[in-house]
Amino acid sequence: MRRIRHLPLSDALGLGLIFAVAVFSLVLLVAPSLIVVMISFDTRAYVSFPPEGFTLRWYAEVFEQGELVDAMLNSLQVGLTVTLLCIVLGVPTALACVRGRFRGTTALSVFVLVPHMVPGIVLGVAVLFAGALVGVTPSIWLQSISITVFILAVMVRTVQSRLMRLDTALDEAAANLRATPFQSLRTVTLPLLMPAILAGAVFTFVEGFDNLSVAIFTHGFHDRPLPVELLALVQYTSSPLVAAVSGVQIILAIAALVAVSMSIGLDNVNE
Amino acid sequence: MSYAAILRPIARPGLGERLIDALLSGRGIWPAVPAIIVLTVVAVIPFVILLSLGFSDIVVSRGEIASQTFSLDHLRNALTDPLYWTTFQRSLTLALSTTALCLVFGYPVAYLFLVGGRWTKRLILVLTIAPLLTSGIVRTYAWLVILGGRGVVNSTLMGLGMIDQPIRIMNTHWAVLIGMVQIHLPVMILPLIAVMSRHDSRLVEASENLGASRLGTLRTVILPLSVPGIGTGAALVFTLSYTTFVVPQLLGGGNYLNAATMIYEQVVYSLEWSKGSVSSLILMVTCLIVLVAIALATNHFTRWTRGRDA
Amino acid sequence: MMQGRPGPATKIATAAPVLRIGAVSKYFGTFKVLEDCSLEVAEGEIVTLLGPSGCGKTTLLRAIAGFWEADGGTIEIDGQEMARVPVNHRPVGVVFQSYALFPHLTVERNVGYALRMRGLPRAESEARVAAALETVSLTGFENRYPAQLSGGQQQRVAMARVLVMEPRVLLLDEPFNALDAKLRGTMQVELRQLIKRLGLTSIFVTHDQEEALTMSDRIAVMRAGRIEQVAPPDEIFDRPATAYVADFIGTSNFWAARAEAGAVRLPDGQSAVTTLTGDVRLMARPHNLRLEVGDAGPWRGRVAFHRSIGPLVEYHVDMADGATIKVAAMRQSIDRPVADGAPVSIRIVDPALCAVYPH
Repeated sequence: MRRIRHLPLSDALGLGLIFAVAVFSLVLLVAPSLIVVMISFDTRAYVSFPPEGFTLRWYAEVFEQGELVDAMLNSLQVGLTVTLLCIVLGVPTALACVRGRFRGTTALSVFVLVPHMVPGIVLGVAVLFAGALVGVTPSIWLQSISITVFILAVMVRTVQSRLMRLDTALDEAAANLRATPFQSLRTVTLPLLMPAILAGAVFTFVEGFDNLSVAIFTHGFHDRPLPVELLALVQYTSSPLVAAVSGVQIILAIAALVAVSMSIGLDNVNE
Repeated sequence: MSYAAILRPIARPGLGERLIDALLSGRGIWPAVPAIIVLTVVAVIPFVILLSLGFSDIVVSRGEIASQTFSLDHLRNALTDPLYWTTFQRSLTLALSTTALCLVFGYPVAYLFLVGGRWTKRLILVLTIAPLLTSGIVRTYAWLVILGGRGVVNSTLMGLGMIDQPIRIMNTHWAVLIGMVQIHLPVMILPLIAVMSRHDSRLVEASENLGASRLGTLRTVILPLSVPGIGTGAALVFTLSYTTFVVPQLLGGGNYLNAATMIYEQVVYSLEWSKGSVSSLILMVTCLIVLVAIALATNHFTRWTRGRDA
Repeated sequence: MMQGRPGPATKIATAAPVLRIGAVSKYFGTFKVLEDCSLEVAEGEIVTLLGPSGCGKTTLLRAIAGFWEADGGTIEIDGQEMARVPVNHRPVGVVFQSYALFPHLTVERNVGYALRMRGLPRAESEARVAAALETVSLTGFENRYPAQLSGGQQQRVAMARVLVMEPRVLLLDEPFNALDAKLRGTMQVELRQLIKRLGLTSIFVTHDQEEALTMSDRIAVMRAGRIEQVAPPDEIFDRPATAYVADFIGTSNFWAARAEAGAVRLPDGQSAVTTLTGDVRLMARPHNLRLEVGDAGPWRGRVAFHRSIGPLVEYHVDMADGATIKVAAMRQSIDRPVADGAPVSIRIVDPALCAVYPH
């Protein structure tokens, strides 16, 4: 970007090394996914590199396997439930944390963060045991609410940081122009928070869809979510079927990425 | 229109809206109450129960607890069991080396983001955010393909004639470490990028104007200012890699126990819930200790931020 | 108004200039940010780049500092071409807008930064930091962090930070922007006196004309990437080279006229000398006009509005031809100002001070 040619030797060597490591890391981030996509078109019934031939047979098989389709639908349901719950619970909480005028706003922000700081498996185990104690058995609903509790902090934090950057004069202006608090929320604050809510929704949905650490202890015996199903499949199958499932996920991820960058811009995702 | 017409009272809003108004205008805690209730029921109470189970003898029958009596046996057993010690030690070493390596490989990416042009920045964002949108299992599976007996590494080495027989990489400590680093790399990079994009670019210019070389600027200005990002990234990567079981389970083979896989076995297969509770508690406490250490270290290197209060 | 400003004799330096900018151009894509800018700055001289935002003044400053390269032209310091000299080897000190103090370093370490980067022995470095802090009267603040200082103190740290490396050229990028209006006035005088005492050759960038008039030995007025006029403050004010400069600095009245045979007839019957012929624009400063009550003179109008600004009263007079002319008069304690609506006529005090520009 700027002049490299005038650099002294020590700078050139040091920066060269740094940039080389950076490029290596970036390749490392993307290469495994590319390899999996290549494997998913392999015609042979076992995983081997380099792949041979080209077939869509494994993709077709993904949608022919009843358990896999059920697992995907289950995960979809969990993802949507988690997102919805996170919006309903998280956005008002963020409002209370930032706009609240009561003692303990800081304590509230920390309290919301705690379940997210605890390792997912510990939360999963705790919920499973507590449920057993009061007679609540694992189910798709227990799984959804557990993941919600686990990931709620992400939604609250995203909305919170956006809310803190909003000019409070906007609300005052709305009030001065005779808007009720609800009208002001609906017409001023919420529209301005939309990008943050969307970003939070993408990440809470992905967590609901992909979470394993909480889900493995809380999912229903007959409603296995995709990650649990996949874990078993990866361990006990050697065909490129898993690669095809991965391929589907990668395509969905790219779609999500495009959706995010078109709606709110990539720069806004990272806080 | 006259002022009087504008100022004429508007129709009273309905009851629901008035209720919401009342809740909002007080600036009280009310909007957060549903979340507080849910968090208490689904997180706080279960943690308390987990704690109580760790200090009890229980009998489980048909997925429900049949009886529970106070006992320190499980804690004592855990702390004297060499399996616990080696398992937690292994998990800790693995997580700490993963964190360190993620920093080593992630920081250059963040630096490239800082000095790079618009398209470089965009590419880095895409490459770091995209993996977070796919599941950990899919990303771990990729390493099965790469490191496996007929995987990318072995095929390449054999193709080049460097080895005759596939070498065993899978199911070793190295396979787990490689997978861990690659999978958690984005989690390290994103906070680094976030903190670096908040830097005032004039600080870098000022440093160069005052005679610092590029590396000098990196060492004396950029690095110290990005310490908060390093702290956040390290805390996230450590927590995730210390408590994951996908990577050890898949890349380490069935025999590679870390704290997470041990807990899973205790809870799901052998139904030893008190043992599982104790393991979970130890996992949580040790994790917390490392997080506090990271926070203290971060604080030590960011003393300047507290100047604002004085 | 200004003490310590060198007399006209020292303005025209006989020695080689410290900084020579020759025909510098800079493009952002196809957009010309700088076009053919030339400027010479003599030893110890303070030259201000003055212009509205987007005129290219900061771009020129950043090109001198080396933050980006010019696309054409030369920048020389002490006769040495700077194009191939990297930022961190240029003998140039920059005081940034909002100062860019390192928030994680104490005052002492901020000021000593340049010396550490050059690997100076510790004892010498400490002595020079102490001296620099004393120069800006900040002794005793060594261990504070920037966030613990007031705006004025931060500015002085920024000065001390570049002073320690004894730059040949000091660049100041709107250094008063972050200060409140009252502090600004004091700091301007203080900073000018400090720079003069140290004899530093300086380029100062601002969009504030009053600041430029206070700080500079010479002012370079910039417009859309070009330097319109370079001259001492008084000359810029009294003899603006172009209508743009006249309009940008101080208040001015413009009206159309015709020039014939080396002279132009003024509306009040007098005439002014000019080299132009044909349609021209005339400019007169409000203080060069005198208001006379009644319609005795040939240039008549009515007072539309008046306001008192300290010792001056400014009248806005609607003329018969539809133009509005601003007239400044000293406030007389005995008379009341001419009332709004009163018929008046205007006379030009000194026709020689009317400027004539091509239409």
